[in-house]
Amino acid sequence: MPVAARSIGEAFVTIAGRDRVRDDAGARAAAAVDGQLPRWVVRPALIDQLSRIVALAHDDGLVVVPRGGGSALELGRPPARVDVVIDLSGLDQVLEYNPDDLTITVQAGITAGALAALLAPRRQFLALDPPGAATRTLGGMTATNATGPLRVRYGTMRDLLLGVRFVQADGVVTWGGSKVVKSVSGYDVPKLMVGALGTLGVLGELTLRLHPLPDAERSWLVLLASSEAAQAFVERVIASPLQPNRIEFFNDRALRSVLVEGAAAGVAVSIGSVAEAVRTQGEHLGTLATAEGARVVPLSEGFWSRAARASMPEANETVLHVASLAGRLAATERAIGDAVRTASPGAEISMSGCAGLGTFRVLVGHASAAEMAVATAGLRAWLAELKGSVVIARGSAELRKAVDPWGPLEAGPFALMRALKDEFDAKRVLNPGRFVGGL
Amino acid sequence: MPLSGTFLADLERIVGADGLVRSPEGRLVYECDMHTFYKGAPDAVALPTGADEVVAIVNLCRRERVPIVPRGSGTGLIGGAMAPVGGVMIGTNRMDRILEIDLPNRCATVQPGLINLSLTRAVANSGYFFAPDPSSQMVSSIGGNVATNAGGPHCLKYGITTNHVLGLELVTGAGELVRLGGKTAERPGYDLVGVAVGSEGTFGIVTAATVRLLHVAEAVKTILASFTALEDASEAVSAIIAAGIVPAALEMLDELMIRAINEGTGAGYPKDAAAVLLIELDGPAAEVEAQGERAARICWEHGALEVRVAHDDAERALLWKGRKEAAGAVGRLAPTYLLQDAVVPRSKLPAIMRELIAIGARHRVQIANVFHAGDGNLHPLILYDDRVPDELERAKAANEELLLACIAMGGTVTGEHGVGLDKAKNLPFQYADADLNFMYRLRRAFDPGGIMNPGKLLPSHPACGEGFRPARPRVPEGAWI
Repeated sequence: MPVAARSIGEAFVTIAGRDRVRDDAGARAAAAVDGQLPRWVVRPALIDQLSRIVALAHDDGLVVVPRGGGSALELGRPPARVDVVIDLSGLDQVLEYNPDDLTITVQAGITAGALAALLAPRRQFLALDPPGAATRTLGGMTATNATGPLRVRYGTMRDLLLGVRFVQADGVVTWGGSKVVKSVSGYDVPKLMVGALGTLGVLGELTLRLHPLPDAERSWLVLLASSEAAQAFVERVIASPLQPNRIEFFNDRALRSVLVEGAAAGVAVSIGSVAEAVRTQGEHLGTLATAEGARVVPLSEGFWSRAARASMPEANETVLHVASLAGRLAATERAIGDAVRTASPGAEISMSGCAGLGTFRVLVGHASAAEMAVATAGLRAWLAELKGSVVIARGSAELRKAVDPWGPLEAGPFALMRALKDEFDAKRVLNPGRFVGGL
Repeated sequence: MPLSGTFLADLERIVGADGLVRSPEGRLVYECDMHTFYKGAPDAVALPTGADEVVAIVNLCRRERVPIVPRGSGTGLIGGAMAPVGGVMIGTNRMDRILEIDLPNRCATVQPGLINLSLTRAVANSGYFFAPDPSSQMVSSIGGNVATNAGGPHCLKYGITTNHVLGLELVTGAGELVRLGGKTAERPGYDLVGVAVGSEGTFGIVTAATVRLLHVAEAVKTILASFTALEDASEAVSAIIAAGIVPAALEMLDELMIRAINEGTGAGYPKDAAAVLLIELDGPAAEVEAQGERAARICWEHGALEVRVAHDDAERALLWKGRKEAAGAVGRLAPTYLLQDAVVPRSKLPAIMRELIAIGARHRVQIANVFHAGDGNLHPLILYDDRVPDELERAKAANEELLLACIAMGGTVTGEHGVGLDKAKNLPFQYADADLNFMYRLRRAFDPGGIMNPGKLLPSHPACGEGFRPARPRVPEGAWI
């Protein structure tokens, strides 16, 4: 039987300690999700505390919203209710680093920046570079399946997450996967947690695959006359023996945001390898670019962090994540332009993304929520044929109420997803309503 | 549980007379996979030619509560594609077409019965390949690779099957045909492809798979280094990885295995060697050249007896010959063996090899080793002669002790072969009740009736379905009431 609100707060204090439970107006406002104020903000320091907080919330029918760095709170449907925000930034310890095995186990609240600093002296890194990674938590990056340019070489969190400890809706601490780089023991539970927005469990610990930093790395920007030329160039790169670790497309506006003027499209390519191989591959890249009539500009070391900063949205910008196909780059760019400008003639579109895989990040400025809703629907209609998708990764609550931020799902897969949610969170405790189809 | 005449007639209506195996001698072919320990013939074998037939079979079995066992080429090593409680086996061999090759998007869509190597052969002229390369790749099916999340020597660099599957068409245990994932690199919602790969036919049957194709590397270099001590070879492995080199493959053979191979295949490995390392690098030519030199130097620094470098494809094939024929060559040492697939963190290789020798001595069994050293995936072959009383028992005891030692070092019970019937009982070594409970419930979401490949992947439990119910955490009592 639910107990009075004040008593629940005291129970959280009993679990986590008084300084880790906040219910004052300031703390509640700072943790609001789409304007919904939580009744408590709890910041556990131990997995055991996390487990008991979730168990208590479950028993009392409270809605739990896990929070990492707070940078992706505008992803998903606006919640109908928020009772407890669990701030995971207190779970930020490194539990086990095995440099010789290229694996590390960390708590989910550690930031990618803190991890990178720890790994750098050993010349190792976590090959995941979404915009703003330095201050994002790894738990948050897992729950939102955050990606960056490196995915073309190293994959996404689904390829890097070896094991995961999470707290189920009823508070039971559960482990999935393994701590070694190769395992097929039982179901691949970590995959289920990637991109699930914490709706099947609250992430507590992650075991990650690391990579050695290449001896040398250089990057070049290939400037092209059109997105068609960019696509043709990318196809040449893919069909060549080159082994780039980034093949990133930039439209004209995205180029301007990294201070490159006067080109319709650009493809930035980085090569990481031993010094000699970087040099020869760079030459090879130059040959491929020349064949496409393109200009090649060598890039400085700081380019990628500048590009990441430039792909962070301004306050009034909407961010779309578009999944299309590498072989349809130019058509996708056109379709994005058409869909947005039809709805909002004055809109500004900055598009970048992984040209080798056809996944793009689109920043749209100067468009109202109503216009963006129309644009999103229009783009989805075009992508339907390719079975692609558009996710509103960041946008106003008004926009995400007007149009489903995730887009439609086929009935068959969605029925399975609902069955999973019913099985693992029947009481709808974990982030309910925010995920696909209102799960 | 014999099937009724009506049931068999219904089944025949679905797959046709030539798609149904009913005779005892016909069914006998399907009684086991390559782990011949576990035998169980299905009551009938259905060989559908399309997804619609699979849907019809699953729905028929669901209605009649008849278990279903999917089977590809039957080359698994875990007692997976066999029918411990009878029922209907669905063989995918007649669904073996390539449905689409899409080079601009570097992927292909194939039916499950397609042989792994056939896909690479179909795209090799264009410079592409399908990366997962289990030793069985000449005969194993892509559906089977997906079901077991198969690995292979080259997965050190390229990853295992799951890293190469973009989409699946799956007939679930509920009889629903669902399309999961697809050509695009991501889509919203739970990663159902990710959990379905490696589910060993317990979620349903894959009727098509969209897989990635990779571009063939510019250069390949194969190096064979031999050592007088296993420890030196193990340390060379660590040093290569520590140098930031990720070889495509990094394989090790121990003394007993080297002897068997030399006698059996004439691969000509150095006679005095206690360990052989097979190192294969691929990638851009300049990288392969530089890293090859560095890897060779590391081997010399760790006391290598000899370092051979292949200069052409023929020499490469010769260096690999012994490795590829290892399992067969062991036949010279003993009539049969138990094959293990456990993994340890690779830095624990020297420790586990010492432990392994001690375990062999304790149980008086010979253990030969050929394994994927680069990722710590062991393949000890525990030799025994089943004509010698209690030798099998000793081999089994050594096997279990070895598994426990690997787990104690932070490892896992299976790295690439899968769980099947063989290792289901071992999962509790690695997982707590809560973890197993989660897996039971995951399975139920795909197969509510519990008809798909029963007895495989998860340990059987009296209260199956709700098995391994974990204790809930304590919540504060009294303090606030």
